[in-house]
Amino acid sequence: MFYIHQSSCISHQPTFNDVDLEDLKPIENNLVPAIEPKYENVPLGQLRRMGRALRMGVGTCMKLLATNKVNGLLIGTANGGIEDSIMFLNQIHDYEEGRLTPTAFVQSTYNAIAGMVGMITVNHGYNATHVHRGHAFENVVLDAAMLLKENPDHSYLIGGVDEISVKNHRLVSLAGWYRHDVVSNADLYTGNATGTLPGEGAAMFIVSNKSEGAKAKLTGLKMLNSLDENFVKEQLNLFLKENPGEVDLFLQGENGDNRLLKYYTAAESLMGEETTVARFKHAFGEFQTVSALAVWLSTYVLQNQKLPQHFIKKNSATAFNRILIYNNYQGLQHSFMLVERV
Amino acid sequence: MSKIVVTGIGIISPIGNSVAENCAALQASKCGLSSLELFATRYATLLKFGEIKITNEDLKQQLGVTTKGVTRTTLLALHAFVQAIEDRGLSAEELQSSDTALINGNTIGGMSESENLYLDANKNEVGSEYISSYNLGTVNMYIQQRYKIGGVVNTFNTACSSSANAIAYGARLIKNGFAKRAIVGGTDSLAKFTINGFNSLGILSSTLCKPFDAERSGLNLGEGAAFLVLEKEEDAKGKKIYAEVSGWGNTNDAFHPSSLSDNGDGPYLAMKEALEVAKLKPEQIGFVNAHGTATENNDEKESVAMKRLFEKVPAFASTKSNTGHTLGAAGAIEAVYCILNLMHQEVYANLRFEKTIETTGLTPVTEYTKMNLEHVMSNSFGFGGNCSSLIFSKT
Repeated sequence: MFYIHQSSCISHQPTFNDVDLEDLKPIENNLVPAIEPKYENVPLGQLRRMGRALRMGVGTCMKLLATNKVNGLLIGTANGGIEDSIMFLNQIHDYEEGRLTPTAFVQSTYNAIAGMVGMITVNHGYNATHVHRGHAFENVVLDAAMLLKENPDHSYLIGGVDEISVKNHRLVSLAGWYRHDVVSNADLYTGNATGTLPGEGAAMFIVSNKSEGAKAKLTGLKMLNSLDENFVKEQLNLFLKENPGEVDLFLQGENGDNRLLKYYTAAESLMGEETTVARFKHAFGEFQTVSALAVWLSTYVLQNQKLPQHFIKKNSATAFNRILIYNNYQGLQHSFMLVERV
Repeated sequence: MSKIVVTGIGIISPIGNSVAENCAALQASKCGLSSLELFATRYATLLKFGEIKITNEDLKQQLGVTTKGVTRTTLLALHAFVQAIEDRGLSAEELQSSDTALINGNTIGGMSESENLYLDANKNEVGSEYISSYNLGTVNMYIQQRYKIGGVVNTFNTACSSSANAIAYGARLIKNGFAKRAIVGGTDSLAKFTINGFNSLGILSSTLCKPFDAERSGLNLGEGAAFLVLEKEEDAKGKKIYAEVSGWGNTNDAFHPSSLSDNGDGPYLAMKEALEVAKLKPEQIGFVNAHGTATENNDEKESVAMKRLFEKVPAFASTKSNTGHTLGAAGAIEAVYCILNLMHQEVYANLRFEKTIETTGLTPVTEYTKMNLEHVMSNSFGFGGNCSSLIFSKT
């Protein structure tokens, strides 16, 4: 599909400046919050007014755009600046629809990140925000693949970002998707519990058709909507036949929720005995666009040819050439992505 | 390269609940703007709105929706979606096929349930029925589940150009071989969030909006939904073909979060790019369904951009004078209107226009007129600088 050149990532782990994934950073209070860096290349006056998702999104984009020019911006986000949305809604309620200031309204729109980055970098090119929950980042990937077929010489900035905010956390928690008992992220996969740990973060990439200097290549993508694990398994089998070659790392999105385990077990059963199996949500938490961070992690593994022990579930490859990512959001939205060594 | 054609359409708007009703209303220069009757807000009688006068309960009953947590945004979308797939006669098997895509654009999602969201986010110990319905993905999540759509499913948000981009994305999925057919469209319902948001920016009009008029005083918010079925011309043999989706352009104005640049860079580039994709020259465009929100900023900058692109600006008008600004639905609703322009070889009146904007001197179409049309353009511009143009051609 395309080559991945530069990347940047904000997560609960040190992934932004000096990347260090060796030791898992522990969590408190059942949250896997992003550790926000000191943002450079973002005008301070603007930074001060931005909500969390906007800061993380703009911050990761600007790290890449300080030294790269691109032909367009494609961002995946399921919630945009949801904290600002609800803040504005609360103002509407509290002031009984009186005169309000527009900042929270304008900044909470889902497309504010791509819009803001377009504005700061004066980028008149393609500008899209995909918001389809657990397929928001996957549609970004598909859109970028199409753009690069249509415009072979172009390069694009693509990525995914979502925030945990107090209000958002409350909503997803009321819907029954988070753990209520206290759990450490190191123990996310043990026991038989319902719910997971909420996470947040951002991962951005510069992508193009140029192989020279590339860090990795994204070679396959498939999205599925189904509650049936057998259908998922069947489709993964088909995907592997359509994309033949050995998979030496199966990076899957297990999140400790016993309701979703059956999908991962079904998918894993298609892997060879020798295939290394690894997980990532203990490090990043669960959120709709976490698959962008899985692509970032894959790029890191292919570049560095190592994967710290805490990610590994089974086996331990010594060389990584081809990584299959399988992610699933709330049991219905599934995706497969292939990331390969250049 | 084979043409991407429209083979099914469905719509619900403040001027009608079907394609036929919308067509008749446009031909009769009907205005669908009024005070609010069904929606409680402090601004119900202070401002004018494009409200669809059907309650959620009635919509649910008409559509056979018994599932909990389905909001008005989704109900309006479903209404248009059902019309579009029935118009094309898509079978359950075709809908479930892995090469059928479903693409939607919207800006409010389930946040139309603002009271429930307020309670869920701040107070409730037990979530309301809408607890999982608030974000924008909710519309297509529901439609996908209901019809088991088998292909790519996506939701776009580029503010007021959301559904124009949904249409372009569907066309590109087919062109690039990622879908055989794409059901594409947009939806939005009136909501306290958007009413107060736009009001805080001071761009809502207390009177009926007057797009492109020198004395325009802002926009009227509206609601609605439209869906189109897109496929390759050769796959549509023996089917009714409404029009070709021949061009699309997506650019960013890169100027300000909520207003357009003085030279209308984003709009100009979006229109130019759509012409390039369609391989057309500016003079081949017979009519422009303008974004024309009737805000001080948009209408002037859009005029500037049209004057930059076209040596002689073609006939143009804003159907927002009929429907109000339906935000995420506007691109899809106006795509249907462009198809009606081509089908019936006619253009509809830009209502209430009296006086040209001095700096641009442009006059929109002011009455229903028969016109030979080969290619029509539709503009949609949004916050965040998101500008999109589509071109529809006669087949």
